[in-house]
Order: sequence, then C-alpha cells, then structure tokens
Amino acid sequence: MANVTDFDRRWIFLSIAVLVVALYIAGARSAAPQNAYVQSYYDVIEALPSDSIVMLSADFDPASAAELLPMYQSTIHHLMRRNIRIINVATWPAAPPYTLAEFNRIAPQYGKLYGTDWVELGFLPGDDVAMGLIGTSVKSAFAAEDRNGEPIDSVPIMSGISDSFSGISLLITLSAGYPGILEWIAQAGGRYNIPILTGTTAVQTSDLYAFYPTQLAGFVGGATGATRYLEMVGEETADLHATRDDNQNRMMIQEWAHMLILLLIVIGNVIYFTGRGSKS
Amino acid sequence: MKREIPILLTVLCGLLITWAFFSPFDASRAVNAELLAWAIVFFSAAFLLGIVNLIRISLKQIASGHPDRVYKIILLVVLFSYLSIGIAEIHGWLSPMATGTDVNGNTIMSDQVRRQWIYFRLFQPLQATMFSLLAFFIASAAFRAFRARSFEAVLLLLAGAIVMLGQVPLGDELSFGLASRWQDFLMKYINAAGQKAIIIGMALGTLATGLRIVLGIERSYLSE
Repeated sequence: MANVTDFDRRWIFLSIAVLVVALYIAGARSAAPQNAYVQSYYDVIEALPSDSIVMLSADFDPASAAELLPMYQSTIHHLMRRNIRIINVATWPAAPPYTLAEFNRIAPQYGKLYGTDWVELGFLPGDDVAMGLIGTSVKSAFAAEDRNGEPIDSVPIMSGISDSFSGISLLITLSAGYPGILEWIAQAGGRYNIPILTGTTAVQTSDLYAFYPTQLAGFVGGATGATRYLEMVGEETADLHATRDDNQNRMMIQEWAHMLILLLIVIGNVIYFTGRGSKS
Repeated sequence: MKREIPILLTVLCGLLITWAFFSPFDASRAVNAELLAWAIVFFSAAFLLGIVNLIRISLKQIASGHPDRVYKIILLVVLFSYLSIGIAEIHGWLSPMATGTDVNGNTIMSDQVRRQWIYFRLFQPLQATMFSLLAFFIASAAFRAFRARSFEAVLLLLAGAIVMLGQVPLGDELSFGLASRWQDFLMKYINAAGQKAIIIGMALGTLATGLRIVLGIERSYLSE
C-alpha cells in the first residue's frame, strides 16, 4: 500500500465498532484516576453551608448528554444530600426535559419540595445576553410565573434572591459549548464575583485551564472527570451506582479506543514513510 | 434615513449599555436590564422567524419535487405535531398522565408526559446517534491526517499522543506514570499560556470592534 488514502476506511469504522460493542457487552470497567480539578469541584460544594442557594445552569442537549448528564445527576444528588437549595435555569432550549425528569426523580429521594428546596425557571433565549440579564436581575429575567403558575416572587426559595446574584452562593454550569462556561465567566464571574464551577465535554476542557483556579473554582472534564466525580459522590448514593458502573464501563471503552487510535496513527505514519521511501 | 436610523439606534444602545456598566446609579441598572430584556425579545422573535423560514423553504422544495421532499414532509409533520402537543399540554387541553410513583408509592401525575415521551424516545436517541458518529470519523481522520511531515507536525503528534495516553489509566500505566504528569504540564502551562494569549487578543479585538460600532465607524452589520 503506497498511500494511506488507498486504505479502505470502512476497516477503521469496523474496528472501532467491534471494540466498543465488545467492551460494552463484556461490561468491563475501569476506575478513573485521581483528579485535582474534580477534587476542587467536590470540595467547593462540600464547603458550602447547608441551606445555601446555588444556581445550576443546564447548558447542554442530548448530543452531549453521555458526558454531561451523569455530571448533572451527581451534582443534583451532591447538592441535595448537603441540604443546599437549587435554582435551575437553562440557556440551551433542549435542556429543560432533562431538568424536569432528573429533579422529579431525585428530589423525592431526599424529601425535597418544589419551591422551597428547588425551583425550575426553565429556558431563557438570548445566549450570553440572557446570562447578562440573569446577572442583572434573575427575577425579571424569567417569566413572571413559574411552571406551576405561581408568581416567581411568591416562590419561597426566591424570597432571599435579589439583583447581581445577591443571595446566590455559587453558580454551576454543565456546559456543552456556546453558550456555556466561557460566557458565564464573562457575564457572571467577572462582573459579579460569584464563584463558578463547571462540568464540560472533553473537547471543551482544554479551554478551562486558563481560568482555573481564579475565575473557575473547579471543573469536571469529559467522561474521565465525570467518572471520578461519580466515584466520589456515588459512594454514598445508591441511585448513582448504576450510572457510576456505566461510566466506568465507558472509561474502559475510552481507554482501548484511545489505544486503537494511537495504533492507527502509528500505522498511518509507517505507511506514509514507507510509501515516500519507495517513491524516492 | 435607511442608514442613519439603524446607526443612531446602535450608537445609542451601545453608549447606554457602556454607561450602565460603569455607573453606580440604580437608573442605569434599570436601563441596562430593559435593553437586555429587549434583546431577549429579539432572540425569541428570531426563533419564530426561523420556524417560518423553515416552513417556507420546505414547502417550496416539496412543491418543486425536490429529491429530499419526503424528508421535508416528515420534518413538517414532526414540527407541527410537537408544536400542537406542546401548546395543548401547556394550556391544559390534554389531561395529565401518570409518570410513575414517588418514594411513598403515590402516583406522580404530569402534564408533560407526551412531550417528554417524544423527547426521550425520538429526539434524544437521534441526536445522540449523530454525535456518536464522531468517534468513527475521528479515528479515520487520525489515521489519514496525523502525519509527522514537519517539526511542527511532530510536536503536535507528540502532544496529542501524550494527552491521549495521560487521559486514561491504561495509557498512564503503559508509560510508567509519565503520561499523566506530562499531560498535566502540557495542559496547565503550555495550553493555558496559549489560551490566555488568545483570550486577551480576542478581548482587545472585541473592545476595538465595539468602539468602532459605538462610534459609527464599523457598519458591516448594515451589509455595507
């Protein structure tokens, strides 16, 4: 084979498919390594006084749910287990069905009540402009009534909240891209000095190191970070055991997929240099 | 006037937002919130415009016998079905349905069951499938394009390999624990330094563009 383009790429597709399916069926698992950034994410939540209010922003959709949904679930568990109250918002239109399903499932496990312990304000269009408006005044940013038709001002959790994130101790965003963590840092962290945590997809994680630890107090990056966080939170949470095991299975698949891709790069280079040598 | 009024509005809004950012007065905050709220209304109207445009283009293609007309019909059927169900559920025209039971065994009723069903049974698997195809294309692209043709390409190749190995425990074990340390060094120092330089450059560029717009020098948004 003189050129890599002569190689039928369907063999590559097949090798990836066989590897992923075989490891998935086998259920092989691998634990995630220690991670200082995930540890910071965990520690910041642990350090919050009980009864604090956290704004949780779901900035993702089904395309990135494989990475971000386990982080979202474990963050809700972690916050509720610590008796921290949650104001949930979304800047991605496809996020609210997840928030509804997860809160309805997780909140009753801790006896948490809608309105008192958590509230869902829904999706706000406008990307970073929406984030700016939430920072300016969260109450006027969203509809005057919540999803149950109650005026926002009469929802108990909102009584202590005023402009400029006053009353909110921490902002957490599960971010899949634009708008997401980078916009929250500019619109909220930079202007109102609110501490920010984030969970992101692996491709976005490299953007975060420039902000840690000053503008970003901690982050959970990609499936590896999600698995590590699930191992930390899931230990005491039976509801997360299946998700943790699934993620450890994904870790194993990711490990071998990385090895396969590296092998393909080596083979590609060998073919390239062999072909070039034979031509000269 | 077709040019002057939009420029005047842009300059006015730009100056008001800038004033509101630095001003300590409550009035400035109110102006800022009002302008941002207007922007949200424009964004929401853009959604509506998008839907109208989508319907217009799809109907045109169906009428002209475009090869993709079957998909356009499916698109419109799904669009109107989901919209109708959503509107009907929001306004309570459809009765709530059971979604399961709580920890005490009580039935949980919800008025969003139909929307949630469509979302989780159709939309979620479709979008997840599209995204997961990336794994195949990344593997194929890595095989075809990742070549050590030059010194810069070798650096890129080595950095990529170290990050991939350092990201997973198996890679770290194979490199006797070196990969994760080198990966952390690359991400924390080399990558972060590059990112910071880009961010500062972007911020200065944004500032310059903002100033040009506020001063009425930049008019490309008017298609000039």
